[in-house]
Amino acid sequence: MKIKKMRADLQALVFLLPFLIIYGLFTIWPMIKGVEMTFYKWTLIKKMDFVGLDNFRKVFLDREVWEAIWHSTFFVFLSTPTMIILAILLALIANRKSSLQKFYRIIFFIPSVLSVAVAAYLGLFVFQPYTGFVNSFLHLVQLLPQNAEIFWLTETGLAWVVITVITLWWTVGFNFILYLSAMQEIPDEIYEAARLDGASDTQIFWRITLPYLNPLTKTITMLQIIASYKVFMQIYVITGGGPLDQTRPIIQLIYQTGFKNNNLGYAATMSYILFVILLVLSALQYWMTNRKGAEY
Amino acid sequence: MKRKIGRLALTLLLSFSTVLSACSGGSNEAGDSVSGDGKVTLSFWTLFDGGDGANMQTLVDEFNKSHPDIEVKNTKLAWGEYYTKLVTAVGNGNGPDIGISHSSRLPDLINQGVVTELDTPATDAGVDWNTYNQNLLDAVTVEGQHYAVPIDTHPFIMFYNKKLLKDAGLLGEDGKPILEQSADGFVSFLQTLKEKLPAKTTPFALSNNNDDPYRLWWSLYSQLGGNDVVSDDLKSAAIDKEKGIKAADYVQKLYTEGYIKKNDPDFYKNFQSGTAAIIMTGVWTTGTWESTKGLEFGAMPIPKFYDKEATWGDSHTIVLPLTKDEDPAKRKAAMIFADWVADNGQVWAKAGHIPSKPSVLEKQEFKDLPYRSDYSEVASVVKFSKHSTKNAQIRDEAAFKFLNEVWMNKMTPADAMNNMETAIQKILSE
Repeated sequence: MKIKKMRADLQALVFLLPFLIIYGLFTIWPMIKGVEMTFYKWTLIKKMDFVGLDNFRKVFLDREVWEAIWHSTFFVFLSTPTMIILAILLALIANRKSSLQKFYRIIFFIPSVLSVAVAAYLGLFVFQPYTGFVNSFLHLVQLLPQNAEIFWLTETGLAWVVITVITLWWTVGFNFILYLSAMQEIPDEIYEAARLDGASDTQIFWRITLPYLNPLTKTITMLQIIASYKVFMQIYVITGGGPLDQTRPIIQLIYQTGFKNNNLGYAATMSYILFVILLVLSALQYWMTNRKGAEY
Repeated sequence: MKRKIGRLALTLLLSFSTVLSACSGGSNEAGDSVSGDGKVTLSFWTLFDGGDGANMQTLVDEFNKSHPDIEVKNTKLAWGEYYTKLVTAVGNGNGPDIGISHSSRLPDLINQGVVTELDTPATDAGVDWNTYNQNLLDAVTVEGQHYAVPIDTHPFIMFYNKKLLKDAGLLGEDGKPILEQSADGFVSFLQTLKEKLPAKTTPFALSNNNDDPYRLWWSLYSQLGGNDVVSDDLKSAAIDKEKGIKAADYVQKLYTEGYIKKNDPDFYKNFQSGTAAIIMTGVWTTGTWESTKGLEFGAMPIPKFYDKEATWGDSHTIVLPLTKDEDPAKRKAAMIFADWVADNGQVWAKAGHIPSKPSVLEKQEFKDLPYRSDYSEVASVVKFSKHSTKNAQIRDEAAFKFLNEVWMNKMTPADAMNNMETAIQKILSE
């Protein structure tokens, strides 16, 4: 019996080994290396001087870093709730019994197969003044005078709108699919019973559908917060972080500091600050979801 | 069972070791320097695309044909990642034998130990530095040592649409614009264009942010006698603010008074499609305009707005990245190649660049290229940046950032200069 157990363990280990090695090599080792970096002035080429905790001291005094972290946080607030509401709405539409069901599924999901660069460039074209679709459309329906243009990409507020809209359009499909499959798993009998009791559609949605989706919503919220904190590419393409760095997220600042300005030590320090923020958020989320236990 | 596990483990190990070896080994593109027949093989990394890329390939092919004992292998890298790749590759010993650098980026590469001085191999290869344009040579010389072989300069110049200028009555008999060379003269030139041409036509095509308006500002600032934005010891910000303000104010007015189209999404296309009368940008676009059907254009140095002639410019140079072995034979061969490329600048000039050797300007092949001679004298008045290691960072994070706000009329030139000074100081003291 014991030998059999050992054999099973060994077998498991053999199967796990490739993963463990890759994980160690490409995740654990770089993380350790990253911690080491934070204590040095480190260029792309070589380790320079040991600076102790200087990088950390500098981060806390560096307005640019906190501004960039705020921009990422702001984007989390902009995108996460809208993303979830939109995904649920789309799932509701596609879940209704109709001949268009398949069609909805396809068109809602299609944008998420695009790469982020393609999505961002498409957005750039659409919102461009003079030539873009949005302004031309506004001209057409006479919401915008013929000789006026809205400069979507160079005004901070509008730029955030564009960034959020493009991100939603591009990523909502994935969450939509998750919600749709969760909705389809809700037993029909429950709905039937509710209807027999005379519940309205709104009541059914708030009292039955939404509570059933709760565990999923929690997971999606967490994943979405983490994903939004890591926003970089679409902003880089659409505004480049401008005007006046007012849309620059923390990842872009890390990239600039490390790879353009050649200061890997300082960039690593910023990365660890971001890491700690995400860790705290995840812990908070874990604590909140496990406090009450399952709700339905 | 045991055998099965053993076999499984072995398979996994094997497959895994191939993965690992793919990661660690390989990538020594430099290859062996001297093969059996005594031929020196050199790896060459470039960042050129489009016309530039094709012209460089022609040069490499020609060189390989005419030099049986040397073979240059050209690897084209993407512009945006070139410098990062070069630096990291050299850092872990897998860099190329020959590389390209802009002269503005050179101090940073020298400082990081990515490129080496090249006087010894240049002497071995018989390079005569006197055959190069002195202004370009100064931009690659640090403390008396040469770090790069300039192959061109690509300054900021002015192109004009002959047809539109003619319509506005501003084209002379000689096919050149009727334009008084002064700050006021240029504005009244634009004013006439604005009045005489249809409303849809842009008098002056220029981007609304980043490079080109910055280049114009830099040119005006230099013409006013402004002396760079960093001090001679490269340690502190030293903007000549009064001149900087004057230059920024002048450019700002070109936008606010409507000579430049606001937020032009594609100012190159605007000029190319014949809806803009003039454009100022780099000489590298000459080839593009030439191949545009129906575009009748001329090229000239930017006007002399103020006291002295000056314009923005940069240079492509050939550098020797640090390699593991520093093989003298390779280094000598690389210098022979670099000097040969400079000698054959007439090929490189096809894209629009100004060759780095004055002798090339005398060649018939160069003279046969239209337009180039109209601006080749600019090579001597290009105002290069000082040899600061932070040039690129200062440009992107201090100059572009605040000047962009000025062009959008959201910041006064005076505020922009103050902000720039603070930002540059911060960058320099890091």
